Amino acid sequence: MNQTNLHGRASLGWLVQAGSGLLLVVLLCLHLVANHFVVPGGLQTYADVVRYLSNPVILIMEMALLVTVTGHAALGVRAILFDLGLPRHVARNVNLALGALSIVVVAYGAWLISRVVGGPT
Amino acid sequence: MDVEPEHNQTYQPGEARRVANWFDPRGRGLGLLAFAVHRITGIGLVAYLVLHLLALGILAQGQAGWDSFVALVRTPVFLALDVVLIAGVLIHGLNGIRVTLTGVGLGLRRQRSAFVGLMVVAAIALAYASCRIFAS
Repeated sequence: MNQTNLHGRASLGWLVQAGSGLLLVVLLCLHLVANHFVVPGGLQTYADVVRYLSNPVILIMEMALLVTVTGHAALGVRAILFDLGLPRHVARNVNLALGALSIVVVAYGAWLISRVVGGPT
Repeated sequence: MDVEPEHNQTYQPGEARRVANWFDPRGRGLGLLAFAVHRITGIGLVAYLVLHLLALGILAQGQAGWDSFVALVRTPVFLALDVVLIAGVLIHGLNGIRVTLTGVGLGLRRQRSAFVGLMVVAAIALAYASCRIFAS
């Protein structure tokens, strides 16, 4: 992925990738500390997970992490694929596919959280 | 009969070697090593992300499924894989910070030392994380 366009400005993709990466450093640290470093034994029990995700602040943080990591990952995969020199029509399909996949991933995460907090049927 | 490539065809024979060249250190500088390591760890982390999200689907099965899963990931094999994961996160994250800083024009003359220094930090953090993982 070219970092700058002809006018010397950073491309939007690079800015989003860099910004999401920096945000991920913070969110991932919070996620790892909360889930693995302060919990006895390093892993939460099922009850702990339900209690954890029932906290609105935690819920927002975890969803923000999911959205950020999914976007960052999709842009990273896109950059690697584009470095292979894809034809224009293939590049467009790659963008659509990665975008759709990202939406599916975030929707899956939101569904899973709602199932956990709501309790299995 | 020779087949002319399409006008907008950018894929050429040997393009796939670009990826293979990431793994060829001969005659390469530290910059390419950093580039290759960043992309390889990125690919690994994407694979982990998929597995992690699929594994968390066990939560939807309730407590019994989750307890069995927790017992599995406490085994030494999975703990070792956790160390590999942490290594990937540290390398990719810290090198990513360096890439971002140089991308906005900061530390351009210190890239080599920045990379080496950050990898030393990653090694120290990894050692600490490994002790915490196996001590839990």
